[in-house]
Amino acid sequence: MRLLGLIARRLVWVPATLIGLVVLVFVISHLMPSDPARILAGENATTAQVAALRHKMGLDQPLPMQLLHYLIDVARGNMGVSLYTQTPVASEIWRRLPATMELAFYAMLLAVLLGVPLGVVAALRRNSWFDHVLRVVTVSGLAIAAFWFAILLQLLFSMWLNLTPVQGRISDFGPSGVTGFYTIDAAISGDWSTEIDVLRHLALPVITLAFPAMATIVRFTRAGVIGTLGSFFVDYQRAMGVPWRVTVWRYVLRSALTGTLTQIGLVFGNLLAGAVVVEAVFDWPGLGQFAVNSILQSDYNAILGFTIYVGVMFIVVNLLIDVGQVLLDPRGR
Amino acid sequence: MEDESREQLVLGRRGLALGAATLSMVGATPALAGGTGKFVTANNNSYDTLDPHVVFDIGRIASRLNLYDALVRWTDDPAKLNMWLAEKVDISPDALTYTFTLRDAKFHDGTPVTAEDVVYSMERILALKKGAYGLFSSVVKPGTTKAIDAKTVQFKLSAPYAVFMAVLPEMWVVNAKMVRAHEKNGDWGGAWLARNEAGSGSFRLAHYDPAVGFSANRFPGHFMGWGPEYLDTVEFRGILEVASRVLGLEKGEFDALDGFTPYDQIKRMRGKPNVQILAKPSLRTMYFIIHNRRAPLDDVNMRRALCYAFDYHGFINNLLDGSVVRNAGIIPDTMWGAPKNLAGYTYDLDKARAALAKVKGPIRTLTINALAGYPQSGQAAELLQSGLAKIGVKTTILSQPWPVVAAKLGNEQLSADLIPLWRSAYFADPHNWTGYIYNSKQIGKGNLSFFSNKRFDELTDKALVLVKQADRQPLYEEASRILVDQAAGLFIYNTNYYGAFDKKVRGVRYCPIGDAQDMRWQWLA
Repeated sequence: MRLLGLIARRLVWVPATLIGLVVLVFVISHLMPSDPARILAGENATTAQVAALRHKMGLDQPLPMQLLHYLIDVARGNMGVSLYTQTPVASEIWRRLPATMELAFYAMLLAVLLGVPLGVVAALRRNSWFDHVLRVVTVSGLAIAAFWFAILLQLLFSMWLNLTPVQGRISDFGPSGVTGFYTIDAAISGDWSTEIDVLRHLALPVITLAFPAMATIVRFTRAGVIGTLGSFFVDYQRAMGVPWRVTVWRYVLRSALTGTLTQIGLVFGNLLAGAVVVEAVFDWPGLGQFAVNSILQSDYNAILGFTIYVGVMFIVVNLLIDVGQVLLDPRGR
Repeated sequence: MEDESREQLVLGRRGLALGAATLSMVGATPALAGGTGKFVTANNNSYDTLDPHVVFDIGRIASRLNLYDALVRWTDDPAKLNMWLAEKVDISPDALTYTFTLRDAKFHDGTPVTAEDVVYSMERILALKKGAYGLFSSVVKPGTTKAIDAKTVQFKLSAPYAVFMAVLPEMWVVNAKMVRAHEKNGDWGGAWLARNEAGSGSFRLAHYDPAVGFSANRFPGHFMGWGPEYLDTVEFRGILEVASRVLGLEKGEFDALDGFTPYDQIKRMRGKPNVQILAKPSLRTMYFIIHNRRAPLDDVNMRRALCYAFDYHGFINNLLDGSVVRNAGIIPDTMWGAPKNLAGYTYDLDKARAALAKVKGPIRTLTINALAGYPQSGQAAELLQSGLAKIGVKTTILSQPWPVVAAKLGNEQLSADLIPLWRSAYFADPHNWTGYIYNSKQIGKGNLSFFSNKRFDELTDKALVLVKQADRQPLYEEASRILVDQAAGLFIYNTNYYGAFDKKVRGVRYCPIGDAQDMRWQWLA
């Protein structure tokens, strides 16, 4: 019940957070020196036609009125129409969402599967050669620019070893399916050649994104485990004859992961917001590219819609992290 | 042409056999078996819409060229205008009535292309007021295009318009019945046609994802027939990162790149064993738009001072490594109508100072609006800034994305003092570079420089009324000289086209209007 109460309290703040976000972004975006009506009307439209369109779009109204109408529309699930593609922004985001989510999911999965065990081992073998090597690797992971690392991977695995494609999400166009996750849709349809093709395309961008994420996880897990190893309950369990393996992997790790979990949430939130650079280098048709194009094209509605999506993603991830923290640490209940 | 043997390899035997005269039928051959697979082109920008009537650029021309047909079409280099959906045209003696007879052609759904479809397409362009609208709006009024019968369509122009045939390739014919069936709230089927196609082109849409690109399969029933070898499928992918496009070509994931590949990458790819480069003089001139109405730029001496303060040689030979050629006027020197031996401006600070001394009013700080994302535009802005600083003229550079700059163009108050950009070939006629962008009647539309000159207007107006090229050519030559004399713009260079292809590509027919993306001619060895 306490957990449900926590979720309820968090959810209460969601509308206020979103409204604040929308207001902020709306005001900032309307400071941009561009005219959506002029863009939408086209370069050949007359001044009168642009004025008529401005009236139709409500752009001739005072800014507070425009904001109020926009808030009402967003509450109804309508983020407006992209000035360039003339399609609803919500459907544009929805169409690209699976590409970004699939990439973010596998990158986080790889980062967690590697990062947590490596962090634990590094803590247990503190100041050993393994710990020193891992420290170099993790510092590199945090310091190396993603675009540079991505190009290195392309040169090594695509150009020299010929193991992976240079770019793209799939060799052809995606398999028809219900989820939009190509790995899942290909598996459901039993199309294993497509599955392999998709995994080959995923490999390099996933490694590029997982590397810095893994570095963060390793460092926080290591620090958490080292801190927890000094706790009295560890000494107590050793004294009681609890096997060291069980103590470390069941009890120490659980306690140590609270800090790591927060970092995982932040990294995952950033990945869901679109890994702009990595998506550009690998030409990944996700939300990062959508955001960049929207900004370059001064597409107000798309920028607003994307920002709201990012806000929602962070709210959801933070909520999940809070729930995870409570489940990991009984004191939070 | 940089390498004869390589070009012949790219062009293949059909390309070398070309010789069709202007307004002739192009290469119709009986259909034979010979599909050579899928051809993937990596393009530098995405395909955000497939609607042929809302865009008018080179970057997204592949969808229009390959999914749609027009009454006439530009092909080859030098560009030739060919009868296409139309098999003949009768032009009235007063050059006001154009009557086209259509050939037997079918849309992708199997229905015949009729005069009614042509009428609908023109009315749609005039109603949407986007894309190529500006090419037709001055002479074709809504409701004046008539279907005489199923095979005959007639345009009645409100005034003689010598370039009417030249701009008609941008009037893509859509399947009227199909588009009408998807019209909603008077949108002329815009929402549907942005994601689907209703054409008769050489290829039929198979997949489309705005975030990825589109693929299309060969349309066996195309009225032009097919040669002994052809492509089964063409795919155009929007790959924004130049390194990814280049690596993809080198690795064999792509068969061709767009025509905007930076020259340093072209140089790098020349040594690659599986890459061939096609180099051709292009018809895209780089220049600075100068705001001719805003002081002190309304003074011709101020404009001349600008033109003398730009280091043309340094820009072309040092910054661009000689990959482009100096073009003293706005009309590409490879185009008829460009005056021979045009004495353009040189980098001469003494002459710049002398011109500056004649400026009557006060000289304020000038704003140069460079295009973000186009490195050459920024480099040109900085070079001019450097030159002007040496003669005591202060400038500020404002770098903004193209849509932001475009939104201000044509607005006398908002448009910047100076804008470094390009004038592409949208139709192979000198009007594209002169009357359309400098005639005072086009101010706020095509004329973004707010330039006004009575003699220039007379010349370019008269050139639109005359029919024969021989009569029009001297008019454009004089008009071009006026632009240079009056320093209406700061004219820099004419672009070269560098097309990067996989070694197995054959049959490329480069055309300056379309950058070799008309895929019906190409095949894979």
